[in-house]
Amino acid sequence: MSISSEKLSKLEETAYLIRRLSVEMITYGKWGHIGGSFSMAEILATLYFHVMNVRPDQPDWEERDRLILSKAHGSPALYAVMAVRGYYPVEKIYTYCELGGFEGHTDMSRTPGLESSGGPLGMGLSVAVGMALGMRFKENARGRVFCILGDGETNEGNVWEAAMSAAHYHLDNLISVVDYNKVMAKGFVWDEMAIEPFAEKWKAFGWDVIEVDGHDVVALVEAFHRARWILPRGKPIVVIAHTVKGKGVEMAEFNYKWHTHAPDPMTADNMLKELARNYGRQELGYSKLNESDAKENFYGGE
Amino acid sequence: MAENNGKGNAVEMRDAFGSTLVELGKKYPNMIMLDADLHTSSKATMFKKAYPDRFIQVGIAEQNLFGISAGIALSGFMPFPSTFAVFASRRALDQIAISICFPNLNVKIPGSYVGLPTSRAGASHNCIEDIAVMRALPNMRVADPADAADLRAIMYSAAEVNGPVYFRIARLAMPSIFGNDHVFEWGKGVLLRDGRDVTLFGTGIMTTFCLKAADLLASEGISAEVIHLASIKPIDANLIVESAGRTGCAVTAENATINGGFGSAVAEVLGEECPVPHQRIGVRDRWADSGGIKELFTHHGMQPEDIAAAAKKVIQQKSRVRT
Repeated sequence: MSISSEKLSKLEETAYLIRRLSVEMITYGKWGHIGGSFSMAEILATLYFHVMNVRPDQPDWEERDRLILSKAHGSPALYAVMAVRGYYPVEKIYTYCELGGFEGHTDMSRTPGLESSGGPLGMGLSVAVGMALGMRFKENARGRVFCILGDGETNEGNVWEAAMSAAHYHLDNLISVVDYNKVMAKGFVWDEMAIEPFAEKWKAFGWDVIEVDGHDVVALVEAFHRARWILPRGKPIVVIAHTVKGKGVEMAEFNYKWHTHAPDPMTADNMLKELARNYGRQELGYSKLNESDAKENFYGGE
Repeated sequence: MAENNGKGNAVEMRDAFGSTLVELGKKYPNMIMLDADLHTSSKATMFKKAYPDRFIQVGIAEQNLFGISAGIALSGFMPFPSTFAVFASRRALDQIAISICFPNLNVKIPGSYVGLPTSRAGASHNCIEDIAVMRALPNMRVADPADAADLRAIMYSAAEVNGPVYFRIARLAMPSIFGNDHVFEWGKGVLLRDGRDVTLFGTGIMTTFCLKAADLLASEGISAEVIHLASIKPIDANLIVESAGRTGCAVTAENATINGGFGSAVAEVLGEECPVPHQRIGVRDRWADSGGIKELFTHHGMQPEDIAAAAKKVIQQKSRVRT
């Protein structure tokens, strides 16, 4: 399994854009989750630009692969990758968190191509199980359902109800991806609630497990190839992607204080310049630096 | 106006549920039944026998039941996730709210074993808060049938509209008020008996109790109007205002808690559009503990005699207001 250098640079470029646009929308929208958006940038880039069979100009195409973002607070990264993929113009992301615009957590009625609505953690895998069953009912043999979970949200019992049922129904058209970034909203995973031994839990629930470096796009491509063509059928598959929360900008990395935090415009400007440097690009700061203060504050602050 | 007075042959609501599921399964090939290990209690088992390929068992996992239903609906099907009302309205509320109601998915939710008729199972299983909880959710429609024909009509209407529906099923055989040709309309109440002095608004099985209360009141020379409001959300505000505006006072009766439930829904309409004296019959901020059915209705002050007493009270309040 190998990919061309063109594809490799396309995926890296997309991961950069996901991070860049996430900062843009979280800063402009004055709310959001940078850490969990950054940690799944390579995962989303690989899924939307290499793995998933989708038609952005025909979002309800029956045979498409579906993606459910169970960790729905990571919506900026998803909105970003879908914009880059061509579901809607990139300018649309600046409606993030505005009344009538893209919802803070996911709202499928507002964003073309979004497959579900969410927000409360632990619920997405059940919806994905329902979709995978729905595909079976429709005898849709090619379509698959991908579900991205956070590591912390696997504290929720609903995740394991869903995991149990996916194996019970032999849903080999379902692949869940855990963005295992080790950091939760207010602390580290092992301090808040230990989830290890993690791979063993999924195995015990009847899943096949692939572990991978979630920031290595070549490894991700290989993992999804393995999930599709190498592993025996009859079981759901989980890709445990080891990642770094906030990966891409040093101040946000491995730091729960950047779980929910909107940077001020100057901080965003610095973040984006650092991000560009890290990707070996020309420094490019925050695009709305001059107009961001024009937004209304309710009673002087939010 | 229906001619029947609630004294027809008693039919088990659950049996009507099961047989209507089978009828709907034939009419709607995209209908899928989901269950959480209760299908022989709810009678969803009748659907399972008729259409085994369209029946999904999820085990004792109600959160997963409703999450899977969301995914099934997103795949173009019409799921009927079936469980006891307590588990739908309490255990799986978040899944119903955000996975189903928020995106306005086409999921039909039967809540079985509602209110006091669940009786001996006790407070944990006698569901009294579901009306309040479900009607608070945007996009959700809520209905509580009076008898088997009403339940059947509600189920047909539930399948006809696009979007989430919650309907209640009491574990009780209720005398027939409606015939099999009965048609249920969302947001429409049914005038069952004309009256001048007071309006009794009933929902679910309590409408039969209202009819009995009207008989008791008639024997004392009081003319009570009886209106059945199976459609709790949307509610027939016009009919409520027209009737209560004319009689000048109202009593509501529900097989549920009065906190936020049906009585509250009627009170909201009356308070905003037509303030008149109003008393609510229902469980009064207590748990519906174990007991016999009749015993429980007496204990909670929900018998026809209690409705009649409340009617006399509001009539008295009305004359006090007017003098």
